[in-house]
Formats: sequence, C-alpha cells, structure tokens
Amino acid sequence: MVVARDVKNIDGMLLVPSGCELSERQIGVLQAWGVTELEIEASEEQAKARDPLAQLPPDVAAKLTAELRARFWKPDDFGPVPAEIFKLMLLRQARRVLNPPRP
Amino acid sequence: MNPPSIKAMVQAVPRSLGSYAPVLQEIEQALQSPQCNLNTIGDAIQKDPDLTARLLRLANSPFFGFANRLSTVAEAVSLLGIQQIQDMIVASSVLEQFKGVPDNLVNKHSFWQHSLAVGLTARLLAMERRLPKPDKFFVAGLLHDVGRLVLLSQAEKWVRAVFEVYQREKILLREAEKKVLGYDHQEIAAELLQSWSYPPTLVQAVAFHHTPSLSVARLDAAVVHIADHLVNAMGIGSSGEQFVPPLDEKAWALLDLNPDILARLVEAVDEQILAVEEAFLKKPAGGAS
Repeated sequence: MVVARDVKNIDGMLLVPSGCELSERQIGVLQAWGVTELEIEASEEQAKARDPLAQLPPDVAAKLTAELRARFWKPDDFGPVPAEIFKLMLLRQARRVLNPPRP
Repeated sequence: MNPPSIKAMVQAVPRSLGSYAPVLQEIEQALQSPQCNLNTIGDAIQKDPDLTARLLRLANSPFFGFANRLSTVAEAVSLLGIQQIQDMIVASSVLEQFKGVPDNLVNKHSFWQHSLAVGLTARLLAMERRLPKPDKFFVAGLLHDVGRLVLLSQAEKWVRAVFEVYQREKILLREAEKKVLGYDHQEIAAELLQSWSYPPTLVQAVAFHHTPSLSVARLDAAVVHIADHLVNAMGIGSSGEQFVPPLDEKAWALLDLNPDILARLVEAVDEQILAVEEAFLKKPAGGAS
C-alpha cells in the first residue's frame, strides 16, 4: 500500500513521507511509534467505486456534464472556487442518478 | 410609459404580519411583564395551533439538531431562545404576506423553496465562519429575493416585459430587470426592508447579494451571495432565474474559508432542506401538540 499523506509522530516529526510504499514490517514499526492510523492511496478500482461519475455509462456522464454546464453562467470563465463548486455539483448529480432522492 | 417607482411599489405593499400578528403582540407584551417566563411565552405561541406545530416540527428537525425530542413549546423556547423564535415567526409571516402573488410568471412554491434553501445555506455558512447570530442570516437568505415578489404583486405587466427581454436576449434576469425597469430586485428589497425597520446589516446583506463587494456590510452580503450561488447550483427551487449567476470570488476570499468545506455544506443542505420546507411550506397535519 502507498501512503497518501505524510505520517508524523506526536511531535510533528516526519516518519514516512506521502507516496512511500509500506511493507508489513514498516507497519509494525509505525505501530511501535504509536501511529494508530494513516491514510493510504486508493487502488484504481476503489477510486472508481468512490467516484459516482465513473460509475455512470460514459454517454450518461457526458450528458449530465453538458446539462450542468448549460445551467451555469459563462462556465468557460470559471476561477478556482466556481470550478470546485461545478465539480461538486457534477458529483452530486451523478450520485442522484445512481441513488435518486426520495420524492 | 415609465416603470413604477420603487418607493410607490413599496408603499403599496401592506405591512401585515398576517395571522401571526396576535402571537407576536402577545410575546412582546409578555416580555415587558416582570412575571414573564418561558411558560408565558409558550402559552402565547400555543394559542396558535398551526404555529405551534410548525415550530415543534422545525425544533425537532436536523436544522437545529437537538439530541432529544422536544415535545412542548416552552422547551423549544428555552433551547432556541426568544429572539430566534421571533425571527422564525416573522419569517413565516412574510411567506403569508405574499400569498396572493400570481403564480403564472414565477412559481411561488419554487420561489420559497429557493429562498428557504438560501436561508438555510446562509445560516450554515455563518455558523461555519463562526459569525454571531447565524439565524439573522437565515432571515436574510429567506428574504434575499423578496424584491421580485414586490414586483410581481405591484407591477405584473412590467415583470412580463422583463421576462421577454430575459428570454430574447439570453442575459441574466437581474440584467433584464435593470434594462427594462432601470433598477433591480435588490434595490426594491432594500427599500422594503428599510421601510419595515429591519436591521441595517440585514438590509445590506439583501440589497447587495449579487454585488457583495459594493456593500458596506461586505461580509454579511458575501454570506448571502455565496449561499444564493450554491443553491442555484444545486437547483433547489427558483426565483425566476434559470442560470446559476456568477460567483464573486472576492466574496469567497472575504469569508476566508477552505473550499474543502463546500462538500460538507452541500451535504448538510441536502440533509436539512426537506425539514425546513416541511416546517415553513406544508400545512401541519396534526395541529398543536
């Protein structure tokens, strides 16, 4: 497994930088250092399972994206925050297609 | 023919607190009495079964998120506070006030769905930013587009002209208002809320919700602006605008919040909106408890 975020001890000292591959032995060492949890990178399948847009057939995902773009005013002029909001809304729409909200 | 003046339209809107006026009056009187306690306030509210049911429904919803179920109005008053209860009653009364507005140009249910969602989102944003009195932002959000209701109730044929320009020129609805009338719904709302003696920061938040950087209460206006943008993006109801209006990134910067909170915020709105809609828009089924 690959570490997704720097692992530090209680004093903030870096133990394992993000991106490092962890072995069973290293996990044991980290436990000895008092590390009880760490973030690991998801595998491609896990990432896909978490991304609702990736679970939709490509034509449905493309239609959803186009419909949402048409609702936003000047989507080509988006700065970082509107772009983040657009991304959030697209994921929300995809989740709603996969699990429709109760009427 | 010239469009009606903002002042003339606002003066023609009757100020009435609708069926809640006697309750509000009784609360005011009770507050002035040295013997006032939570039960007296609770009793005053309980005289109106519809209001009692609405308040209890809202108090027991995820909007407030209390761990235990509240069964009496006195409990609700003690946990929410009198100011908050009064704000909620006044907010409900505005919904009543514009009941008679025609539905043909803007669907009123959809209008209030949008307004309630903006109120809810503004309150959540204010809580996230740890601003004092987050419920003030609920009221500001709820009333942010009230200028459009004034227009619909006082100058329907001018609204029709606005929509014609809006559809023909494919511009933002606010721009169409400016083009046809020379002013927009923000300016009408400002005049209305001022005439109702609403607090100046609340008036500013409503009056500049599309242009928060121009407000003297920029932070208040920024909260409502971002809430309005998010709710339009989520597509919860509509006050007539079909586009998601642009976001002023300076307003977001002013709030000094990490964009990571947006996902949590959207989730919380989705979780709470039904309860808020039920409390304000649906007729209580069981009456008072």
